[in-house]
Amino acid sequence: MNLRVVIADDEELARRVLREHLRGETDIEVVAECSNGFEAVKAVNELKPDLVFLDVQMPKLDGFEVIELIDSAAAVVFVTAFDQYAMRAFDAAAVDYLLKPYSAERFRASLERVRVRMREAKPVAAVAPDLRLASRAPGDYVERIVVKDGPKVHVIPAGKLDYAEAQDDYVALRSDGRVWLKQQTISGLEAALDPRRFIRLHRSYLVNVERIARIDANTKDTWLAVLTDGTKIPVSRGGYARFREIVGGE
Amino acid sequence: MHPILQSWRRFGLWMAAWVPLGAILILVARLSGHLSFIEAVGAMTPAVVVMAFVCLSPFYVCRSLPLRSTAREKILINHLAAAFILSGGVLLVGRFTASLLTPSFLGLDARFGSAVPMLGLVVLMIYFVAVALHYAALELEASRRAEILARDAQLRALKAQVNPHFLFNSLNSISALTTIDAGQAREMCVRLADFLRTSLRLGERVTVSFAEEMALMKMYLDVEQVRFGSRLRLKQEIDPACADCDVPALLIQPLVENAVKHGIAMMAEGGEIVLCGQREQDWLHFSITNPYDPEAPSTGRNGLGLRNIRDRLESRYGGSARMDIKVEERLYSVALTLPARALR
Repeated sequence: MNLRVVIADDEELARRVLREHLRGETDIEVVAECSNGFEAVKAVNELKPDLVFLDVQMPKLDGFEVIELIDSAAAVVFVTAFDQYAMRAFDAAAVDYLLKPYSAERFRASLERVRVRMREAKPVAAVAPDLRLASRAPGDYVERIVVKDGPKVHVIPAGKLDYAEAQDDYVALRSDGRVWLKQQTISGLEAALDPRRFIRLHRSYLVNVERIARIDANTKDTWLAVLTDGTKIPVSRGGYARFREIVGGE
Repeated sequence: MHPILQSWRRFGLWMAAWVPLGAILILVARLSGHLSFIEAVGAMTPAVVVMAFVCLSPFYVCRSLPLRSTAREKILINHLAAAFILSGGVLLVGRFTASLLTPSFLGLDARFGSAVPMLGLVVLMIYFVAVALHYAALELEASRRAEILARDAQLRALKAQVNPHFLFNSLNSISALTTIDAGQAREMCVRLADFLRTSLRLGERVTVSFAEEMALMKMYLDVEQVRFGSRLRLKQEIDPACADCDVPALLIQPLVENAVKHGIAMMAEGGEIVLCGQREQDWLHFSITNPYDPEAPSTGRNGLGLRNIRDRLESRYGGSARMDIKVEERLYSVALTLPARALR
């Protein structure tokens, strides 16, 4: 069985090292080389490779955002000079984590791991997507949310997200007067965003604090949040307590 | 709390200093009031003890009225007022003690009264000496703190200097080149070694010439050029008159690293770093501009390095150096204005 491989790294020389190591392998076919995150998402989603070598810091999208946006079950091997991402990489179900520069032996060991994985036919993306986002260092929150928009990728800076609403397996993200759908749970999104800037006002709603104009009483135990653009969002008892804690506790 | 009251040792030394001072006050009382030795000691001892504490009080006044930033009249009026009130208090204590002792020593009350003008004068003088001493001590403390800050900033600059990711990425480039182009791999090793050696050498010094700092920066960019190829472009508009200006060692280099890390490395098509240097009499103007992608994924904190530079400028030049950061649509630029000659 041939392994179809995509290489994503913004540095030409780094791609060449990978290609050179792969040249010695008979069962490998490099189907695409990408030099930024957008290209990587596009290539992986179109070509459905078995294996992706992925750099972490790249223009457009970083390696973790690429993983979020690909819907194939490709095995991912991170290749980076930064060792501090190793934990996150394995949480994101990466098969291996190669530190630049690496030896030929280390590279072969990595390929071997991928082959074993493939033979066992384990689903590679065994970890729920939410965990991928949740596994960050304390105090390290995402500054942007990436969404698939047909074949393209849309980036929503955290500050431009008005609110998110849970809809079955998706969250609807409202930003700049548009709604974007992303396959994710609202709890996963809540864990990824800075809790001082986004409050879970309701089981189904996560709201940007800066967009809240006021909170009105509705019934005895429920409230209504009125956003700066007039949108009304239901507030539960717990949501009201969380709001008081963040806004009133200063 | 007053630093002298913070340790028993210091407090003991302070009180010891009041033995001779107290002796002077007792002598003045004895001579100008015709008191016997016993009378003078008896009447003055409590006042001297009170005076020892009163002379600690300028600490708070001096601290709230720093010499540099307060109007002279304000300083004068405040200290004069404090001096008269506190001296009056000390003399009152003396008079009160004297009146208590009057039943045992005939006419002590009246004779002490005649010593008051002279005593008042001496008490005032001692108080003014205390004020001067406090200002001197505060000044000493401030200069010592500035020195510590400068050394701290230097150390942090050195630590930030050896950026491990830069090293690892460079080594990865070398590892790629070994089979592609052995000659260029060797060239890259030499460039990397040149950069490391020079940055260690310059890092040992406090001040280097602008030309030396520029040369170091060029070595750094030579290494990064191999990594980024045509994505990294450089434009220099440096006035030759800048060459012999003094700059703090390794001050500019981190700015170039930032321009590469947060700018060029995050642009798919790369971009041009523009360096500008101008000399205007006693001032050096330097700026570095790089394109950046406002929508790029986060590349970690940038602010720490900039704060480090700001701290170093502050501790070295006080308020006379400036750093301005300008963020336009797709351009990021940092401008430095430094005195062309280092302060000694």
